[in-house]
Amino acid sequence: MEDKVIEVNFGPQHPSTHGVLRIKVKLDGEIIVDAQPVIGYLHRNAEKLAEMGAYPKGMIYIDRLDYVAALNMELGYVLAVENLMDAQVPERAQWIRMLMVELNREASHLIWLGTHGLDMGMLTPFFYCFRERERILRIFDEITGSRLLYNYFAIGGVYSDVTPKAIEMIKEWTDDFVTKLEEIQSLLGKSYIYVSRTRGVGKLTADDVLSYGVTGPMQRASGIKRDVRKNSPYLFYDKVNFDIPSRTEGDVYARFLVRIEEMRQSASIVKQVLEKLPQGEFYNKKYSKPMLVRLKTTGESYVPTESPKGEFAIHLIGDGSSIPYRVRIRSPSFANLSSIPTMLKGYKIADLTASVSSMDPVFGEVDR
Amino acid sequence: MIPIEAETTTKNGIKVVYVSKENILPFLTEKKGEGFDTLLMITGVDYKDHLEVLYHLLSSGNNARLIVKTKTNEEVDSVTSLWKGADWHERETWDLVGVKFKNHPNLKRILLAEGWIGHPLRKDYPMDKKQFVNLSDDGEDRVSYDKTEGY
Repeated sequence: MEDKVIEVNFGPQHPSTHGVLRIKVKLDGEIIVDAQPVIGYLHRNAEKLAEMGAYPKGMIYIDRLDYVAALNMELGYVLAVENLMDAQVPERAQWIRMLMVELNREASHLIWLGTHGLDMGMLTPFFYCFRERERILRIFDEITGSRLLYNYFAIGGVYSDVTPKAIEMIKEWTDDFVTKLEEIQSLLGKSYIYVSRTRGVGKLTADDVLSYGVTGPMQRASGIKRDVRKNSPYLFYDKVNFDIPSRTEGDVYARFLVRIEEMRQSASIVKQVLEKLPQGEFYNKKYSKPMLVRLKTTGESYVPTESPKGEFAIHLIGDGSSIPYRVRIRSPSFANLSSIPTMLKGYKIADLTASVSSMDPVFGEVDR
Repeated sequence: MIPIEAETTTKNGIKVVYVSKENILPFLTEKKGEGFDTLLMITGVDYKDHLEVLYHLLSSGNNARLIVKTKTNEEVDSVTSLWKGADWHERETWDLVGVKFKNHPNLKRILLAEGWIGHPLRKDYPMDKKQFVNLSDDGEDRVSYDKTEGY
């Protein structure tokens, strides 16, 4: 009975991998002694595809990176392109963008919360979360015309204005979302089973977080209070009030609390944006559609944004032609996921799904 | 002080410095000591006559950003000894751009199948040629241009 270490394959086709993650786990009894993630099953090389067409054409591939938060992805691309072209964006368009990305952050966190509950063996939160997410998707449908992949942000603004009906829908949603959120939080947070399965599990220390380049809610749950929206504000994030939630425990439960609090803050941002939304143009007429494919630019740009998973940005290099020379995607999930070996080592096999789902990986973005 | 070869900024004001490839490891060690504790990403760009490797650094303490670039033809020193996160980023750069990292503990392809022919983000990569991957039982992937030998 000396050499008891066995190797178990986890995934890639498994519901709790949130996509197509495969982990090669070495087990000593129930204890994980080594875990090596294997990725690449959803690889499409979005970077190469985006380097093959005109600047606005890259948007549809960027949309499909983090498909549950497509607007946050679009924002990273559109900001980089506009920065490179010195494009002027009307004020109203920028506020609309802020409104949309915050709503999309809520949708993304809700889908995470629901599936995280599912991974922990609880089916009820899933329905509660998806009910709320459905309302957000209906708002998106009203404004953009699509429910999941929008192609809504355009160079120089947004493609369509926010309708009065949509404003009514958002107001209705913000009015009772916080109470609904409390309901959902109590479903998980007050469950003895959930708390005891997540507290002290999947720990990452602040040093690990920095060393792996982990960003977003995972970083804030480990005691590093950083948020791109506060540290280097883009759009009008310096004109709204919100807090950065942070915890010091660095375990799964801390990540749960951080994300819940982030949703509350996002709801408050949405409320403030509705109050401050100015009248005016939603689109810079200089960048009308037939013009877009002929836009030429040169130089280099990297505009960091805070996506639901962490720091998302595009490193864009233009060579003076109408096709981008290099589109490099900084994907937060990729860096977050690389911390798996440290995060799982020493814990039990039953904690694996809890830890992995607490990272909120989305494989469109990891594999690109 | 390690000498820098040139200095520019990106359009939104992030500092970019060029360092010779022999000095990249000492330079990044020095920068890490100065508070640049996070490595956001490593990537490569193919400029046809040479390759460039980019390191995005972030100081979480004083919120400073720095992009370090180095020109190379094939090979550059690995920085996995400084940041654990460099492991995957270097593997990806090797996989897609084809930059070799010296002293990397496990320099294998990460996104594409092992044995893939060429590096897709090179400008001379043949886009019209399809490759077919055969996942065999022994865990070793075989890649070929022949349609009958894979998917």
